[in-house]
Parts: sequence; C-alpha cells; structure tokens
Amino acid sequence: MSDIGKVRLRLPSSIKAGDVVQVRCLVIHPMERIERDKAGKIIDKKYNYIDQVVVTYLGKTVSTFDTTQSVSENPYFAFTLKATDPGTVTVTFHDTLGGKYEGTAQITFG
Amino acid sequence: MSRPLRWLGLVLLLTGCTLAADAPDYSRVPRWTSRAIPEARGEIRREGNRRGVAVRYPGWSTTDYAAFRTYAYDDWRPEPTVSPAIMPSGVVGDPRKGRALFLDRQKGPCTGCHLVPGNDVWPAGNVGPDLSTVGDRKLTDAYLYQQLWDPRVVFPLTVMPPWGVQGAFTPEELVHLVAYLQSLHGPVVAEKDPDRNPFTRRRPVGFGDNLDPTNNPGVLRAEGAEALWQERGSAGKACADCHAGGVQTSMRGVAPRYPHYVPAWGRVMAIEDFLSVHAPATTGRALAVESADNVSLTMLIKMASNGLPVAVDTQSPEARAALARGRASFVRRVGERNHACADCHTTEYAADKFLGGRLLADATTGVTRHFPTWRTSQNDAWDLRRRFQWCMTPLGANMLAADSVEYAELELYLTQFDNGKPLSVPGIRH
Repeated sequence: MSDIGKVRLRLPSSIKAGDVVQVRCLVIHPMERIERDKAGKIIDKKYNYIDQVVVTYLGKTVSTFDTTQSVSENPYFAFTLKATDPGTVTVTFHDTLGGKYEGTAQITFG
Repeated sequence: MSRPLRWLGLVLLLTGCTLAADAPDYSRVPRWTSRAIPEARGEIRREGNRRGVAVRYPGWSTTDYAAFRTYAYDDWRPEPTVSPAIMPSGVVGDPRKGRALFLDRQKGPCTGCHLVPGNDVWPAGNVGPDLSTVGDRKLTDAYLYQQLWDPRVVFPLTVMPPWGVQGAFTPEELVHLVAYLQSLHGPVVAEKDPDRNPFTRRRPVGFGDNLDPTNNPGVLRAEGAEALWQERGSAGKACADCHAGGVQTSMRGVAPRYPHYVPAWGRVMAIEDFLSVHAPATTGRALAVESADNVSLTMLIKMASNGLPVAVDTQSPEARAALARGRASFVRRVGERNHACADCHTTEYAADKFLGGRLLADATTGVTRHFPTWRTSQNDAWDLRRRFQWCMTPLGANMLAADSVEYAELELYLTQFDNGKPLSVPGIRH
C-alpha cells in the first residue's frame, strides 16, 4: 500500500442527539506478522504493528483498545459511541515503531 | 400476456433485432493466442487416451464438457435435436428414489428452478412452475416423461434443459422422477419459513456503498495498484512515465469507452485485454489476464472514471459487427443444459426470479458498470470474464480463454445496455 497511516473514518449519515452510533474506521498499515527462519525459530526484530487505538470525543479519551499482531493488515475497526453533543471524534492509531496516525470526523445533529 | 403470445413477441423481437442490425459475420474474427494466466485459458489437459481434465481456477470443477456446444465462434455444432421419447416399460417408478434425484445437487438440481414440498428443499427456485401439487393435474406419465426427456417437443422455447437427450438423467431415473411428480398432491401445507418459498422469499438487499473503503475491500485492493502504476517493468518504464499526472487525472474518461475495437490488434478489447498486450509492449510487465495485478490495475483505471457515463461505441462498422456477434452469443444455447445467457438474464424468461437462492439479474438493465466487482462469497475481486467463466460450469460447457474475442464481444454487447449510466467500480456483490 502506498500510503501507510491513511485513516478513513465513517459515521452514519444522520445522527440524532442521544443516538448510539457506529463508528467505522480503516487504516492503511502493514501489521507485520511474526516471521520464522528455516528452523522455525522466531526471528527477533522489532515488528511494526498497531498496538494501541485511542478514541477521543469532545476532547476526552473515551476508549482505548490494545491490539496485537493477530489483527489483519489494513485493519478495520468498528465500535459504538453515544452521541451526546455535537463535536469531534478522533481515532488515533499508535504503532510499535512510534508511528501515530489520526483520523477525525464531526458529529452533527440534524 | 398469455404464454404463447409472449413467445411470439420474443420471436418477433429477436427476428426484428437481427434484421435491423446485421447478421453475425464470423469470417473476419482474428485467431487469438491467450495472454491469460494458465487457469483462465480454458485449456483441457489430455494424457494418452484418458479423459480430458479441464484446467480451471483452484476449487473449480475439472470436468471436461467436450461433448457439448460452447461459445467458441468456430464451434459449429448445432443445438441438440428435438427428440420425442417413449417412456420405457418394465421399470416401476419409485417416488422416493425420484425425490432424491429431484433434490440431488450433482444432477439438476430440479429444485434450482421448481418448488416442491419439504423443509429439506432449500433453497428452491421459481424459474419454472411450482410443482407442489403437480400430481393433482392428472397429467399422463408419458407426458411428464416427455417433459423431462426433452420439453422442447411441447414447448419449443422453454428454458428447461432436455435432460434425457443430454444424458444428464438415465431413462430409469426419469421414470422415478415421473413417479415422484405424480405423488405430489394438495393441499399445500402452510410454510414454516416464508424464505423457503421463492415466491414469498425476501429479496437480497445488497451491501451498501460500494465505493466506501470501510465497506468494500475491493477499493483498498485497487488503491494498492497505485504502486504497480509507479513501478518500472523490465523495459525500464512504468505506466506513470508516459501517462503523466497520476492515474486519477491521466486515466479519467478512458474506461467508459471500453470495450472497444482496437485496430492495432484487429479485435474488440476490454481494459483487461488491452493491459495484457499494452503493458508488455511498453513497460515489459506481463499483466496476464486474470492475474491479480491485471484485475487490480483495471479497477484502479476504472475508478478514475467513476461517475462518468458509460459510452461504448455502437456505431462504427467494427462495433456493429462485434455487437451482432455478441448478440448472437447472448441467445446461443450451449452446454449440457442447452442454456443461453438470455434464458436466465432477460425478463422474457428467468431474470428477477430465483435460481435456487440466487436472484437472477436482468442483463438488459446494464450489469457491467460495476465490474471488476468484489465478491463477498469469494473474498476476491472478479472481472466480468471470470464471472462469464463461472457461468460455464453450471451450464455444462467448457469455458473459453478469459481474453477470447468471443467473451470480449459478449462483454461489449452487455456493456451497451450500460451506456449513459454512471461507472461505479469496484462493485460489491455476493
């Protein structure tokens, strides 16, 4: 993939105050898997994969997910959020090499 | 409209089309050496005198249907002869055996088109009449036997295969089937599950926005081909070297004109076909038809034109000649089942009805503008050719090479129904 760290965030098209909405996000990332040598021994190196996903809403961290190498390449995450007020949802992906990739979406009512 | 009138209408329509357009001329179609991956060339491997083994995609049937007519332009074999039959005496029909045959997925299955009682009948189709109470109709055994052996004797334009003529069922098996049909009497019991009955089944609802990458894995797959666009082949050139300004800009407006006649190669080509000859000539990269790279790059190129109306040429003499052949293929009956595309994919016949659990598409509404499409059931992106080839196995016909002229012209014929409608690639389907 050409753009590592490209984050796409999707919210339902119409949201009412108090709705529990599904947030869907997709991030371009190689999510390196454990490699083994010919003898079957795990190759010791710093694997690059997303190990933390942080969700903030209205400036507060509302959820943190710890993830492992078992998550696929270009992972897709979906979770629900109670839309109490209009404002920004930010999803930040942290990988093991210090990469930080961020996506934002606006919750508006109407 | 009554059935005979509808048939008459279709006959007039088809004759009218043939007269208004041109009769298909097969004399100037070039021979084509396939540039497809080995699984997609439609090859049959033969060792010694043993039966042929068809080379197809992993997991597909390898049965060689050499005995049956194909879409190849040089296959001049006629349709199987309409054949009256006399029910063999001396065999006593067993309804239980008949029912097992009716449901046998290795045979018809008859349930693909006909509804019969039983909650193990899943999923039944409604292409043919509901047979739940056919025994009450007091039809003779001889009549039913003829219907199964070769229904064209009674209904010349039926889409039901001539099972006996083609050897799909033996005469003895047909006698058991007749006995089973005669055992079906009313009253019809209420359905436990309305989805069992194709006449009351809910219609499938699709998969949402096909261009949303969080919804359609095909989008990411296509975007991955950006790297391929930039990568130099063995000739030291990349696509990007000649087509400057990025795919989105340089390829905008290209896809809606495909498939079209390419004078340099003397044939109609879709983007997939063209890439397989153009990429080696310019960049040195192979890009075989049906290779993952070819399909991904095709999607990327088509995505650059998303939203633009399809606009294939239907007027040039070459296009008219190709369309005449494509139309002839569309109504040509092939394979063990003796089916034409038109049998399943026009509303005159089975379109918008269930074949088993699948709702058959109406090809005349335009079904090509979302190809290559992501198939959720296959977890892969398929171009239209692979979809054609997939149709061949249930028809009992050997598939042609993915980049054959026959398929390209059939694709052109189908694509002209999309003219004026917006391109939307990749699609997402079951």
